[in-house]
Amino acid sequence: PVLPEGWSAEKDFKAIGSLSTATQRNIEPVGPHFLAHARRKRHKRTFSEDERI
Amino acid sequence: MSAEESAPARVAIGISFGNSYSSIAEVRDGKAEVIANEDGDRQIPSILSYVEGEEFHGNQAKSQLVRNAKNTVTSFRDFLGKDFKSIDPTPCHASAHPQEHSSTIAFSICDTESSEPNTVTVSEITTRHLRRLRTSASDFMGRSVNAAVITVPTDFSDSQKTALESAAKDAGIEVLQFIHEPIAAVLAYDARPDAKVSDKIVVVADLGGTQSDVAVVASRGGMYSLLATAHDYELGGAQLDAVLIDHFAKEFIKKNKTDPRQNDRSLAKLKLESEATKKALSLGASASFSVESLADGIDFTSTVNRTRYDLLASKVFASVTRLIEGAVQQADLDPLEIDEIILSGGTAHTPKIARNLQSHFPPTTTILAPATTATAINPSELSARGAAIQASLIAEFEHEDVEQSTHPMVTVTPHLAHAIGVLCISADEKNGVFKPLIEAETPVPVRLCEGEREIKISKPEPKTKTNGKATVEDDDSDDEDSDDDDDEEVREKVWRVGKVLAEAGVKGVKKGGKVEVQVSVGSDLALQVVVREVGGKGGVRGNVDKPGVEQNGSA
Repeated sequence: PVLPEGWSAEKDFKAIGSLSTATQRNIEPVGPHFLAHARRKRHKRTFSEDERI
Repeated sequence: MSAEESAPARVAIGISFGNSYSSIAEVRDGKAEVIANEDGDRQIPSILSYVEGEEFHGNQAKSQLVRNAKNTVTSFRDFLGKDFKSIDPTPCHASAHPQEHSSTIAFSICDTESSEPNTVTVSEITTRHLRRLRTSASDFMGRSVNAAVITVPTDFSDSQKTALESAAKDAGIEVLQFIHEPIAAVLAYDARPDAKVSDKIVVVADLGGTQSDVAVVASRGGMYSLLATAHDYELGGAQLDAVLIDHFAKEFIKKNKTDPRQNDRSLAKLKLESEATKKALSLGASASFSVESLADGIDFTSTVNRTRYDLLASKVFASVTRLIEGAVQQADLDPLEIDEIILSGGTAHTPKIARNLQSHFPPTTTILAPATTATAINPSELSARGAAIQASLIAEFEHEDVEQSTHPMVTVTPHLAHAIGVLCISADEKNGVFKPLIEAETPVPVRLCEGEREIKISKPEPKTKTNGKATVEDDDSDDEDSDDDDDEEVREKVWRVGKVLAEAGVKGVKKGGKVEVQVSVGSDLALQVVVREVGGKGGVRGNVDKPGVEQNGSA
């Protein structure tokens, strides 16, 4: 991989687009990873906050 | 969340409640174990039978189908919470017939010592069945079981769930949660200690006795989303039994000039023995079939080998493959995108079904069945195990917690329509190789896409010229996170690069160094990108805004 010559951006990062719309779907409320997700969502925690507890 | 001490301690098990068979499982020492009942059966027939007021259950009740069919109740799960007009009573032809009873369905059976038949509702039958299951589990565990996670098919309606919940309550079982059978199967595999949670598309084919269900599941970071389901209410083990019944009946007619299928009792004997022969054929290359006094007092003995059976049943096997392919199509996926097929249910023991799938799907697809994967879990035990694992996870939760966590939580989550990844480009920018980091259909927010290796394949010589820098300090990755679709051409999975989301450059990466790219997607669909060399410090960070305005990143 090569960076094209003369490529530059503020702090070397350039945001170009954004995600296209996502589809709404159901997750199955099963399994340890879902329960962790539910816990985060109910307490409005982020991933790192959740890990600290 | 936290364990509450006020209520009596919960002892929870997993129950898989099927039309033909049920099983119970517990989690011990972190491992799910299926519990055998007092007859030593792990697959317990969902059958109840009454002889002079005595209740028989499971296999004992099943053998009563020959002599005491009228007082034997089978295939009742699907009658729960339904009205009489909507049910299909075919599986009950050979046993007690379902009848309309006020708003529900009932059976007329002699379940007491008197010879007057009683009307017993389907929910009462279910209660008795669950009570027996509960007793078996309690006896085995030495503790009184009072709660369970029960598996249900994906097309189980709310009224069916309510009916099942109240029947379970009458049996002394608190239903902690209903979980879907295919998801339980996936969980049973993912919870194995040696299993690695990965992002994959899994097809679960639950091949039961009287019906088959297929579900396409996206497994992302250990969370599961149903993409499509398909059901066939005729396809199942009973059809395979019928193949053998016809085969042996014809053989019998050739020798004896009577058709054992004409006589109810002979037919019941044929059915039981055919099922046993079918099971033997899943294990061995040939199996014997023998019935004492099959018809007109004549004994009948015969054998059949697997090749013959595979030939006779090829039509049924083909419809299993078709059902699975249909579900994949319904999910808008190509067979190439299927990473795993989990075969579950009793009929999944059939080696030929797994082999057929193996030849229908690309070699990249793993078929998890005993015939194709040595480490496969017994297909009959999958949903009970999954239920037991879920039960052990939520046993400590308060009922309210479970309820709150399951409802609004589930529906609210958007899933990425496309995969996000890094475009690894070489000198020629058009020949980028797309490496997906986050697969499509991943529920957001997600994190943890770190550690994606990007090995510099470039030979420095020609490039130094274009770069005009010394080999040592140069080389920089051009990481483009791009949104994209996958396309299939000539039956090969390729990535087509879609919308570019962001560009980032890491300067001064050593030749052959690895670059770690971490992308986090927030629930508002905003992106956070961190790019750095492995072992290096600093790195580049940036944010991509949620759909709307774009903006440059900041550290």
